[in-house]
Amino acid sequence: MLEIEGLEVHAGDFVLRDIDLAVAEGECHAVLGPSGSGKSTLLAAVLGIRTPVRGQIRLAGQEIGRLPTEQRGLGYVPQGLGLFPHLSVAENLAYSARARRLAPPTYRPLLDRLVEITGIGALLGRRPATLSGGERQRVALVRALATRPRLVLLDEPFAALNESLRRDLWWLLRSLGRDQGLTVLLVTHDLTEAFFLAERIGVLVDGRLEQCGAREEVFRRPATLAVARFLGIKNLLPGVVRDGEGQQLRVDCPLLGGVVSLPAGDSRAVPGSRVMLGIRPEAIALRDATHPPHDGEVVLTGRFDVNDLGAEALVHFHHEASPLVLELRVSGRVAQRFGLFEGGAGTAVGLPVEALFWVPETRTLRTAGT
Amino acid sequence: MSLRRGTVAAALVVLALYGGLIASLAWFLDPEALARALTSERVLFSIRLSLFAATVATLLALLLATPAAYALSRYSFPGKEAAETVLEFPIIVSPAALGAILLIFFNNPLGEWVQESVARFVFTFAGIVLAQFVTILGVAVRMLKAAFDEVPAELETVARTLGASPAHAFRTVTLPLAKRGLVAAFILAWAKAMGEFGATLMVAGTMAMRTETLPIAIFMRLASADIEGTVALIVVLVTIGLTALHTARRLLQGRVDA
Repeated sequence: MLEIEGLEVHAGDFVLRDIDLAVAEGECHAVLGPSGSGKSTLLAAVLGIRTPVRGQIRLAGQEIGRLPTEQRGLGYVPQGLGLFPHLSVAENLAYSARARRLAPPTYRPLLDRLVEITGIGALLGRRPATLSGGERQRVALVRALATRPRLVLLDEPFAALNESLRRDLWWLLRSLGRDQGLTVLLVTHDLTEAFFLAERIGVLVDGRLEQCGAREEVFRRPATLAVARFLGIKNLLPGVVRDGEGQQLRVDCPLLGGVVSLPAGDSRAVPGSRVMLGIRPEAIALRDATHPPHDGEVVLTGRFDVNDLGAEALVHFHHEASPLVLELRVSGRVAQRFGLFEGGAGTAVGLPVEALFWVPETRTLRTAGT
Repeated sequence: MSLRRGTVAAALVVLALYGGLIASLAWFLDPEALARALTSERVLFSIRLSLFAATVATLLALLLATPAAYALSRYSFPGKEAAETVLEFPIIVSPAALGAILLIFFNNPLGEWVQESVARFVFTFAGIVLAQFVTILGVAVRMLKAAFDEVPAELETVARTLGASPAHAFRTVTLPLAKRGLVAAFILAWAKAMGEFGATLMVAGTMAMRTETLPIAIFMRLASADIEGTVALIVVLVTIGLTALHTARRLLQGRVDA
């Protein structure tokens, strides 16, 4: 539905460059990134507020890069929601129909259905200032969807809500998406939100799309150091590529006790190049140090620092033979079973090599598949 | 002295200064002179002339200031910084100097052509309007820009994704939300035009029953040592001006509270 190719947009001194992105019809695609990474600039280009310096933006096969905003067929919910404060909820919802001079039979059935699904029927006579955060959110969503947009752009629309309300709205948006067959481009810095709502995820850092792929792929195998860091993965260990055999890559990683063989992924690494090996904190297992190691697992012994977070425990493992510190997330019950709260004597950590991923130490080393 | 006491004292000093000056008029205020002034054909002409000229000048100023302020609020363009700087020009240059600049302009070839081919400004009603227009334009743009700045541009973007053209979004979203600021700008600019003296004197002169606005009438009375007459006209001007300013303040208050 949406295809962005070689897009470059300038916003003052900031440059968004080499953006290639495709959102299939009926799909929710999230663009994740820290503040200042260029997410809003990307949206501004799709919206038509900023003119690209180069590249193409196509929607349903039509080049829209030079079209005025109102002719692009977009639905938009910004972070501030953009409800018109001088109009009632009903007037906000009917704004598009009035601007386009539509006859009620052409827009009323869909609007009524959306109002019913989202349960905002009782709010129609009220002004936005009198609504709660969740109510405003629903009104903004309905207003954007009632125009039958070809693409819905959501710019951190749930950022101002509390956790519980945010989750309610995620469910609502997901059911609306299925009901209406929505194609959505969601911009957010919230990892959980992106993983909840989107089938595909792009990670934008410093104006570049560092990785774009299926949700699970981005989650388990970050393609670059910047993506790994943005995803909050602290377990990054330096290594040097020894060689590659088929689907496997052999990396010399002194902190893991020598050469480890791990999945190569879609990319190639040049022997001798410096890489970082990473592993997600929840992928690291606890083991009884006296038992023999499982196949395909690197087992390390050391001491533990534990922070009880309620449902789970955040654990720091200090390797006894090196300065290596690993971060683990385990359930409170598991932490208790292995005696981590008492220092974890006799407990080791197991790093399944299947869960290890590698990223180049610098951005330029890895190109294919990123 | 606490911060509260010190700052409140400063605010009361401001009130005492201006309030005292206005109250001091009572010393020379002669009710008979006031009644005479309010029934004098010449004074009534000055009041009507001032009200009419200030209204025309303010409407013309807003006609130009509204789009200019919108552009300064929303867009980046070459010359924007210079345009913003020049808004203070009428404040930096004294009104008399501003009037003198206008007069000098009408004595150069282009100005003479304007006088011959477009309209006569020197010593005419058009001259009064022009002098007031030039004096208030910068302030009007500055105030309107502040009003537009308060309306998030994001609302216009949303309106456009909902199918509104830029003009429709401006008319149905920006303008209603900036309305109080627009009204306040009109009243303040109008009050400033009502009190304008220096530039008007230079361009339009002091001809009784022709170009004698209320501030000029005050000057003429004072020049002829008619203190009671001067005070009576000042009271009229102060009453009109303070009423306008009070209305503007109430409107601005409403904007903050809304």
